[in-house]
Amino acid sequence: MTEQNTDVIQGTLDLLILKTLSLEPIHGFGIARRVEQVSRGVFKVNPGSLLTALQRLERAGWLNSEWRNTENSRRAKFYMLTRAGRKQLEIQEADWNRRSSAVARLLRQEA
Amino acid sequence: MSFLREVTHGLRGLLHRNDRDREIDDEVQHYFEQTTAAYRERGLSDEDARRAARQECGSPHTAKEQVRTYGWENTVRIFAADLHFAGRQLRRNPVFAMTAVLMLGIGIGANTAIFTFVNSVLLRPLPYPESNRLAVILSELGNSSRAPASMFELYEMRQRSHTFEQIAGIWVTSRALPGKGDPEQGKAGVVTSNFLQLFSTHPMLGRFFGPEDDLENAPSTVVLSHQLWVRKFGSDPRIIGTSVPFGYGSSIVIGVLSQNFRLIFPEDASVPSNVDYFQSTPIGPWEPDGPGFLHLVGRLRSAGSLPAAQRELAAIATEINDIGARTKVNNYRLYAFSLQDDDVREVRRTLYLLFGAVAFILLIGCANVANLLMIRAQQRRHETTIRAALGASTFRLIRQILTETLVTVLLGGAVALLLGWAALKAIVAVEPSSFANLGHVGLDLRVLAFTFIIALLISAIVALAPISTVRHLKLAEDLKRSGRSKTRKQSQSTTILVATEVALAFVLLIGTGLLVRTFANILRVDPGFRAENVFTLRANVPNYDVLREVQRALTALPGVQSASTVSHLPLDDQGNWYDYYWKDGTPVDQQNTEMADMRSILPDYFDTIGAQLMQGRDFTESDDAAHQHVAVIDEILARRLWPGESALGKRINASDSPKGPYQFERDWLVVVGIVRHIQCHTLTATVRPQIYVPYTLAPRPSMSIVIRTSGTVSDLASSVRKQIASLNRNVPITHLEPLSSVIERARAESRFVSVLATLLSIVALQLALGGIYGVLSYSVVLRTAEIGIRMAVGAQRAEIMRLVFAEGFFPVAVGIVAGVILSAVSMPLLGHLLFEIKPGSPEVYLPSIVAIFALSGIAMLVPALRAIRINPLTALACE
Repeated sequence: MTEQNTDVIQGTLDLLILKTLSLEPIHGFGIARRVEQVSRGVFKVNPGSLLTALQRLERAGWLNSEWRNTENSRRAKFYMLTRAGRKQLEIQEADWNRRSSAVARLLRQEA
Repeated sequence: MSFLREVTHGLRGLLHRNDRDREIDDEVQHYFEQTTAAYRERGLSDEDARRAARQECGSPHTAKEQVRTYGWENTVRIFAADLHFAGRQLRRNPVFAMTAVLMLGIGIGANTAIFTFVNSVLLRPLPYPESNRLAVILSELGNSSRAPASMFELYEMRQRSHTFEQIAGIWVTSRALPGKGDPEQGKAGVVTSNFLQLFSTHPMLGRFFGPEDDLENAPSTVVLSHQLWVRKFGSDPRIIGTSVPFGYGSSIVIGVLSQNFRLIFPEDASVPSNVDYFQSTPIGPWEPDGPGFLHLVGRLRSAGSLPAAQRELAAIATEINDIGARTKVNNYRLYAFSLQDDDVREVRRTLYLLFGAVAFILLIGCANVANLLMIRAQQRRHETTIRAALGASTFRLIRQILTETLVTVLLGGAVALLLGWAALKAIVAVEPSSFANLGHVGLDLRVLAFTFIIALLISAIVALAPISTVRHLKLAEDLKRSGRSKTRKQSQSTTILVATEVALAFVLLIGTGLLVRTFANILRVDPGFRAENVFTLRANVPNYDVLREVQRALTALPGVQSASTVSHLPLDDQGNWYDYYWKDGTPVDQQNTEMADMRSILPDYFDTIGAQLMQGRDFTESDDAAHQHVAVIDEILARRLWPGESALGKRINASDSPKGPYQFERDWLVVVGIVRHIQCHTLTATVRPQIYVPYTLAPRPSMSIVIRTSGTVSDLASSVRKQIASLNRNVPITHLEPLSSVIERARAESRFVSVLATLLSIVALQLALGGIYGVLSYSVVLRTAEIGIRMAVGAQRAEIMRLVFAEGFFPVAVGIVAGVILSAVSMPLLGHLLFEIKPGSPEVYLPSIVAIFALSGIAMLVPALRAIRINPLTALACE
């Protein structure tokens, strides 16, 4: 369901969500905002894809969700990392590092 | 953990759909609010902020829809929606729905019933312990290829064989039943003491015969069938080990067989499936030249060793031939068949044919449903086009069509369950005796599921037709038209479908025609006797004098023309007496090669049953053991032994027993009469020639009495009983019935097959005609405009009719041509079922061709009449 046009690299959305949530529980919009800010606008997240991905990760057992009040006392759905989610983040992070450094090495060679 | 979440979340989504949707709505709402708020913070007005948010995030509806469709439960939900829609579609077109459901129901139901039947007769193993190890052993000698064995041969085989763990033998004869009360005739199985163990693991009560029963001074023992135990001994379990009256002495009951014990033997072995009781006989190397009378069954050491057993038997036959006198014939051979194969030898092909017939019906049914679906797809082209235009994906449309097909087939399956169950009940109710393997036959649900899946597959393929119309949608073009008119491709495929249906129905019609003609021929068979006004009964008579007394007393009854007796009634299954015969001057090595049915009779037997004495004379009172020993033979034997000359006065060697019942010895008999052959075993096959000897030469304790009356005599039964009782001779009588009932029984199988075939071809024809009607009706609807124009420019009604008929008859003609070819190829398969009619008989083909044309003409009549009633004005206005 992530095939909708998204500026996030295919397959990295999960990693970005997990990473964002590892800091603190946060709602969907908050995740999108933070991904945008931290990436300095490189990644833009489409709400449909984001919320679908959140459902998927929750079903996979990596996230839990809860309706809470925000600072401006509006109810919103907050997501938080589970123990399994934390583990998954480590795996995905390691995996990503391995891949990106490999790609980086290759590119250096080409050049 | 994650799987559990997957399931619970999915279920929650499914069961509390509204809650979940609301949650998603809230979440998306919140997201958009936040986005808008963020823009507002940057100083945009409310209106501009909202617009900017939409620009950034797209439509909230799309987002909601995207989130909502996540998860497996959505597949379920869409399926449910499709199902709901399909149900509505079917309800909206009840005629379509009912036709399709009924056609599939009939097809699947008939297949299930017949396959269950085939399965229980052919495929299910015989109800015996390790039945795959049981084999029938037969001898080939002289002209007989399936001859029984002598005790000497059985003994030698048992001594020499290593591949068989056991070899046992049986012969069935009619004897007095054990038990108190009037002596009564029954079927006695005389078996070697190792026989019953092969057919059952243990008796219900007591024990089977064992080696102790073979000892020289062992007491007489019997094993009772369950049925006899219930009837004669009141189901008393204490009967085991007690002595019961038996014949003129007594016997100890050692066992009672279980209720479902049945003997299943090759049809020609004269071993009925329900034998009343068993006695044992020891096996020994007596009488090397003794007669063959034992039907042998062996249990192989292992299931796969039949070929080894065949080789071994061939070697044993050579050895026996070297030491035995009886078997010193030039072509003595022993061979074995698996009991399972041998039993179903005749029935197998009949059942396969039946199976083929119902498969045809399923095909015709599916062809019809295909047609219906195709027509419906065309009708709904407009609707489909609109749905596609509104954004339904092709996948979604195809899924919808498949769901509708599935629902139709499911409903068809439900109907099939009912129909199949009813059909099976009907088949078993008229269970013909040749399907002896039929124990309990219940509707096989696995079979139903199998047939159902087949139907589903066919329908899925069928559904491809409408799908192809979906895939080639040309939206703009189709939206402009209202969906009427016919494509060339479509009319081609309907032609093929209708032609297929006609061809298949035609083949069934031909097969049915042949079977019905066969049955008609069987009805016309002259069995060699006239059964009208002849009654039969069985009686126990101690000796010749009493028998003569009974005969005289019965002849004296008012309305009785004549009375006589015979040891074995024609077409009856009460055992058989048959033996080797030879004429004067036959060399020793050819003496034991040909067999005849032997019958012991009193004078007047031929007159009483209406047999025709062709030459010579009937027996008289003076034909007894003290005078010249005489015989009457049938025309077949006379022709075989003395072709071109008269058999009268010639000598023939056969077995008789002038010294007392069953004390058989070889004897030379002078032929004094020649009688027309009587059908003794079946109405259609001449099994063996016949030799009649006077009762005085072959007395038996039980005889069948035949009585010819001069018309309907009221209360014959009670006057016969009274008359015999008045003799005070203690002659019990049973089984009083008209001779015609044995003929009825003999016709049962042919009647069964022809009735079944008739029913099947009626169903097939109906389906095919329904197909023709449906296709043509729809075609007239599609061509309304065209017909309207033709009428507007002056076409006559007759021309319009011709137009419709031409369209209808074309596939019918193609179908008939294909049907004739198919029939010509397949009908010879029916050969063994046919009697006095050729598989290619034009007297069946021509009427069938005419019938199909006439009937399909009738099916076309309604659409044709509808066509000429088209009003040109309205037709054109429609377009």
